[in-house]
Amino acid sequence: MTDQGIRSRPSYAPLAPDPTGRTHLLVCDGAEPSATAFAPGVGPGDFAEVWTVQGHSKAIPMPHVPQAQHDFRSTSHLLISLRHRLANERMGFRLYAVGAEAFLWDVAKAAAAIGMGRDEYRLHATGSAARRVYCVHCRTMNEGVTTNVVTCSACGAQLFVRDHFSRFNNAYMGVQIDAEVPGETLPIEELYR
Amino acid sequence: MTTAFKTDETFRDDFRYSNSDAAILRFPFPFPEDTYMYSVNMEPHFPGGATDAFNTAFDVDEHYVGECRERALVLAQDPNRCLVLPHMMQAQWDTLELLMESMARDYPEHFTLERDGDRWTWHNRPLGIHDTFTFGKVDTLPYEPFEYIARQAQGDFTLQDQRENTLYLDGGIATTQADWSLEFNVGMTFHEWHGPVPVAHELGVFDRALQYLMRVRYGQPVRRLNWTMTVNPRLDTSPENYPLWGPDRTTLTPENVGKLLHLRVELQTIFRLPRSNALLFGIRAYLASIEELARVPKWGRRLHRVLRDLHPEIAAYKGTDRYRDTAVAWLSQFDDGAPTEPGIAAGISSLPA
Repeated sequence: MTDQGIRSRPSYAPLAPDPTGRTHLLVCDGAEPSATAFAPGVGPGDFAEVWTVQGHSKAIPMPHVPQAQHDFRSTSHLLISLRHRLANERMGFRLYAVGAEAFLWDVAKAAAAIGMGRDEYRLHATGSAARRVYCVHCRTMNEGVTTNVVTCSACGAQLFVRDHFSRFNNAYMGVQIDAEVPGETLPIEELYR
Repeated sequence: MTTAFKTDETFRDDFRYSNSDAAILRFPFPFPEDTYMYSVNMEPHFPGGATDAFNTAFDVDEHYVGECRERALVLAQDPNRCLVLPHMMQAQWDTLELLMESMARDYPEHFTLERDGDRWTWHNRPLGIHDTFTFGKVDTLPYEPFEYIARQAQGDFTLQDQRENTLYLDGGIATTQADWSLEFNVGMTFHEWHGPVPVAHELGVFDRALQYLMRVRYGQPVRRLNWTMTVNPRLDTSPENYPLWGPDRTTLTPENVGKLLHLRVELQTIFRLPRSNALLFGIRAYLASIEELARVPKWGRRLHRVLRDLHPEIAAYKGTDRYRDTAVAWLSQFDDGAPTEPGIAAGISSLPA
């Protein structure tokens, strides 16, 4: 992967329970979190509660049953419950997320919305490095971008995918590559798989 | 001195824009020496200094009416050029108070503020605005308070919330920006929104600037100058509209570069706000063609040297690669090799004919 020298692209440290926390919830956008997401000697079992996404329409969390793992149908399904859960949490709660980058920053946005600080949630990107790219010209989100240049699905501009990442908008910036001279572009390379 | 406003200026299409001799002489030329490198070049923003542009809290000059009209046009085309996150409402009122108090104090011939408890009356004579409203009550103004007053000022503004040992860009208005997107950057930390700037991170400039800014106190504003170059006197060089202005960069020739290439200087002013503890950044853009600036002998010499010797990464970041050689060649006619006085001042009180 090329480095454009831009400092807003996040980097992610391996996860381990924060010893200053009181309760710990790990959320994951797949059926189980990748082992590579954790610090040496740490695994999902070290977190009091683990929420996973099963990709199955019959999956259902069992909130009234004290158990360590709850299953959700999709990330959207999980985020709904997460927002409710966060609204009822107190000081000392720690949130951890594992999965694709766009999922991580959806989780972070939910945490920030209820006033959690950046040291109270921890994120680790795993799986596909495909990017959500925001067309700065027409303001459309282009999902799952794996190439250095992509055609905006809405306005047709040839967008260069900058390393400039907005946590708030949860997207990388796409800027028309040939705005100055039409057709002056780069060979397309698959960089974000 | 009462400023005569130019009332028919345009910053797009036919570009009806120029600087009077007086405006050239008060231009905030950004280079105190013959070379340029990033630095934490901040100083107290007290009235006075090397340029008359430093004489007031918020400079109002001959382009005021035209710039306010251009801002209204951009906002009509793209309402998201003004965005303020909901938790910044107190900072919005702080901004309105600071600008109204400052403008009425510094330019009593143009602006008047009458305060009767929470009942405020604002007169803006150049724009023909006369409004009475209740301070703290949003629905008594035609816009939210930040947008209301920013529409009546030159230059962009951003609001920074200070928390978690950094600054968050949690609001702003950007219609005259040097290629950064408010809509994309909103909610970023100080280091994130400066992420694309080359070289300076390695120099530690942003670490030191952040520490300095977080210590700015109420009543003790600071300022710095920043610069880039823009083809044509175009205020709206936003990333959003880059498809519209990007092609301008291919239009320069040895014959037209003096008239079309403009030095774009940002007078950045930073104020602590009293109730919210937020920071207000003023980012005021000044435009002058290199032909106008070269009428000041010192500036013609110096601009030639700075552009010629500019660090290649900085030159690329500022978007000059397509025309820098053309500009340097044109400016060389003003550089006789003589030494230049340190500092940004023009060093003359009237322009040679």
